[in-house]
Amino acid sequence: MTRSRAVLPALVVTLLLFGGALAGALRTSVAPLPGQAPSLAAWRRVLGDPAFLDSLAVTLAVATVATVLSVLVALPLAALLRGRRTVQVLVTLPVLVPHLLVAVVVVLWLGPGGIADRVVADLPQVVRAPSGAGVVLVYLLKEVPFLVLLLLAVWDDDVDRRVEVAATLGVGPVRALRTVVWPAVRAPLVLGAAVVMAFVLGFLQVPAVVGANDPVLLPVYAIDATRIRGLEGQADAAVALLVASGLALLLAAAAGVLARRLDGVRR
Amino acid sequence: MRWRAAGRATATALAVLTVAPLLVLPVRALGDVWRAPALLPQQWGTRGLDVVLAPGTNTATAITNSLLVAVVTTLVAVVVAWPAARWLATADTRRRIPVLIGLALPLLVPPLAIGTGLAEWFLRLGLTSSLAGLVLAHLVAVLPYVVVVLAPGFTPAVRRAEEAARTLGADRRQLLLRVSLPLVAPSLGVASLLGGLVSWSQYGSSLGVGRGIPMLPLVLEPFVGRDPQVAATLALVFLAPAVVALVVVTRRTSRLSR
Repeated sequence: MTRSRAVLPALVVTLLLFGGALAGALRTSVAPLPGQAPSLAAWRRVLGDPAFLDSLAVTLAVATVATVLSVLVALPLAALLRGRRTVQVLVTLPVLVPHLLVAVVVVLWLGPGGIADRVVADLPQVVRAPSGAGVVLVYLLKEVPFLVLLLLAVWDDDVDRRVEVAATLGVGPVRALRTVVWPAVRAPLVLGAAVVMAFVLGFLQVPAVVGANDPVLLPVYAIDATRIRGLEGQADAAVALLVASGLALLLAAAAGVLARRLDGVRR
Repeated sequence: MRWRAAGRATATALAVLTVAPLLVLPVRALGDVWRAPALLPQQWGTRGLDVVLAPGTNTATAITNSLLVAVVTTLVAVVVAWPAARWLATADTRRRIPVLIGLALPLLVPPLAIGTGLAEWFLRLGLTSSLAGLVLAHLVAVLPYVVVVLAPGFTPAVRRAEEAARTLGADRRQLLLRVSLPLVAPSLGVASLLGGLVSWSQYGSSLGVGRGIPMLPLVLEPFVGRDPQVAATLALVFLAPAVVALVVVTRRTSRLSR
């Protein structure tokens, strides 16, 4: 029998690197120079910086909009793609394509001088739009397929059989979706949505290519700080990244609690 | 019946919409002169490729670095993930979920935080600006995917075959090389492919820990605004492993459904 200490190498490596990374970031945030006495100067500086607070607000707004829209598009799409293997594989291609590449493709189509610009004159710009539309679009293109894949994994034959049973009992398709399919998929969907939101809070490559220049999303705020403000900026960047990390972890914890409760209701 | 046909048409349209946008990449990469408002380049050529391969630029180095780090990270990940995946295949849900959460935890925080946070320590260990530091930073992101994809490969049939081989006197090395590895190979292939792809796509962690080491996504980004033709050429290189992965997965699923 496989003993549970078999998971130790993987778990220890992960938690050591993860814990080490967070501890390292914390250390940078209080003492960016080796041998320096720890101080909360960077925390005070960043938390009192109006540009940071703007960035935080915009990041949360963009993350919420991108996540809600992804869920709303993924649900009907998953219903449509049930049982269509080949199409499923093609639609899940974006899951394998890196975020940066999707952003590049969006710029080539919708950016200034892009294909859309050539076909339709005076098209409203989404790339670098202050509304964050470009960022939301890239995440939609990436995360809808991710959520569809997740939904298709939990929406299995067992769920389909229960829908059939419901149909023989005279339950219409819309009501079956609500009473049979939804309870089976909602808990994993909540967890998937939390992962999507964590990606939007933390990925640098998407806002770096299609995000607005002012206000910037949190990861861009962090990288700008290191590039412009030197050593002091490194401490500031660490603070911004720790705030984003804390938010993402809190969000995931809340999603975990919610998913457990939803799952409990079903059983 | 009409509902089904409409569904099929919509599904096909969606598939086309997913793949078609990518076709802009080869056109842009091979368009030496492409002035608006023309819909196709006025002059085709390989200027993009010439810039990528020109001596003295870091683009070619970046491609080699990214490939090397992806291969090494995946190898390390497979070795570390193997026992965990094996355990996961038989563990009950109550014990499995905390382990999965522990493994997935690093995926939730900004990769740049992982990269810069690790750099703080690697600086002291002399690992910054080295490929080893990059491998460790990527490992955090790659490991959970490899474990989760590898686990279903350890089916009851595999365990029965291992048991039989052991009864017949196979030693540990024979067991691994002659029984376990060949039987788990299909899952191992997909897990490695996905792991390699995750490392290949890493952006924030590479930027944070690498401190200037050229990696493909990092050298690609500045070209997007500066020289779209070079950006598109590098993007095609960046896309290639995903296409390979898709082909492998498609062939596997079609073999399974036959």
